[in-house]
Amino acid sequence: MVQPSGAVLVAAENGPELPSIRDFLPDPILFQGTPFAINRIIFVRLLAMVIILLVLGITASRAKLIPSRWQGAVEWVLDFVRDSVVYQVMGELRGRRYVPMITTIFLTVLVFNLCGVIPGMNIAATATITMPLVFALWTLAQYLVTGIREQGLWPYLKQELFPAGVPWPLYIILTPIQFLELLVIKPVSLTIRLFANMVAGHLLVAVSLAFAQYYIIVVSNKWLALAGVSWFGLGFALTAFEMFVAALQAYIFAILSTVYINQSFPEED
Amino acid sequence: MEPLAANGGIKLFIPETYDIVWSLIILVILGCFFYKFFLPKFQSIFDERSAKIEGGIKKAKEAQESADQAKKKYEDQLSQARVDASKIRDDARSEASRIISDARTRAEGEAAQITATAQRSIESQQQQAMVSLKGDVGSLAAALAGKILGAKLEDEDTQSKVLDQLIDDMAEKTHEG
Amino acid sequence: MDIITLAEVTGSISVLGYGLAAVGPGIGLGIVVGKTLESMARQPEMASKLQTVMFIGLALIEVLGLLGFVSLFVV
Repeated sequence: MVQPSGAVLVAAENGPELPSIRDFLPDPILFQGTPFAINRIIFVRLLAMVIILLVLGITASRAKLIPSRWQGAVEWVLDFVRDSVVYQVMGELRGRRYVPMITTIFLTVLVFNLCGVIPGMNIAATATITMPLVFALWTLAQYLVTGIREQGLWPYLKQELFPAGVPWPLYIILTPIQFLELLVIKPVSLTIRLFANMVAGHLLVAVSLAFAQYYIIVVSNKWLALAGVSWFGLGFALTAFEMFVAALQAYIFAILSTVYINQSFPEED
Repeated sequence: MEPLAANGGIKLFIPETYDIVWSLIILVILGCFFYKFFLPKFQSIFDERSAKIEGGIKKAKEAQESADQAKKKYEDQLSQARVDASKIRDDARSEASRIISDARTRAEGEAAQITATAQRSIESQQQQAMVSLKGDVGSLAAALAGKILGAKLEDEDTQSKVLDQLIDDMAEKTHEG
Repeated sequence: MDIITLAEVTGSISVLGYGLAAVGPGIGLGIVVGKTLESMARQPEMASKLQTVMFIGLALIEVLGLLGFVSLFVV
């Protein structure tokens, strides 16, 4: 991290407003103390939900046989989730049942992630641990239910905890790991991946822009303003990168959910 | 700089109650929206579209088939007409040749008949001429001979004998000539 | 500072830890992406399938690096 020199510190004592973890733990602004308290991130999340409902709802209610340009784009996304994510991993026969779930996860996570680069919101709606955790728990429930439905409880647990073709002494080590993998590691890794990506992305962009603002506006030094401009360029690039990461993480969340559900199917084929 | 953990970084990973509540509410609302409204709507659109496209393809196929049939019918008619035309032409040609040959035989027959008639009339005239010539030549020759011979041919008997011999000689000469 | 102390690190050691934690996944991601590109160049008709599998692998490796990032906040 760049350490401002002593002269600069004298010129502006308080330094740049660097982002901190307080950004992700905002104080409630409505209904404090009740289970329905709303803080900034939840407000962003509600806003994002309303946007999804409005935009996609209007698109769906106006959907025609011959698509307009926007409807074509939405249909392209739906086709992408169905063909490139679900059917690619599971095949059409198994996958048909899970298309709605994966589509919901993909579109919701995508829009929530993109809130991080929308001016005014500036924080991803998935940037508290809870939202990714809820998605991950949904996936967990779905793959447990699928496994029990497709194989029955005991055959499913046997397949997961005692993988075939392993010499039995190894089960002493393997079974606890498999158990953890099944119930903890899969959902937690899904959660952490999404959450940490959003946190890191926000911190990177915010640090860059804070330094840009500091060097250009607060510090009255032409040469350091040049540094501020390059910080701003970096912030710009990182914002674009954040958009890419938002889409990539939505895709990865969706495809990993699909993969986990697919693993619950019997392994014969 | 202090470690972030000392600032309560661990709090980041501990879900708040109200956060859980709102996340669940939002997820349920969005889930209902996608499951009950959005995806069925688009699914029906996709189905309708594929049905329409299939219907269009089927219709096009039918049109193609009927066009093929019409073309086949037309071609059949055309070839039939062609066969008919060539048959008519052949018939006409054989008819014509028959007419020509008929005419030719009839003409030949008539010609032969005319020739025969002419021949016959010539012969009869010749016969006539011969008879009259015989009479004339006989009297002429008798007169001539009477003049030449004079008295020698007084009696009727001798005269007739000589005359016959003369005519025979002439006839022989004529035949030879 | 003691007279015995020969070297001192100021600031959060967790940051260093995160830097170290990023090394392994970095190498791993490099190998995954490189190998996938190689395979795609060899069999372009398999490209989409390979890409899907690559993203799954990337996600599994990525979480290791992110664990380091998380420990920056937690420990």
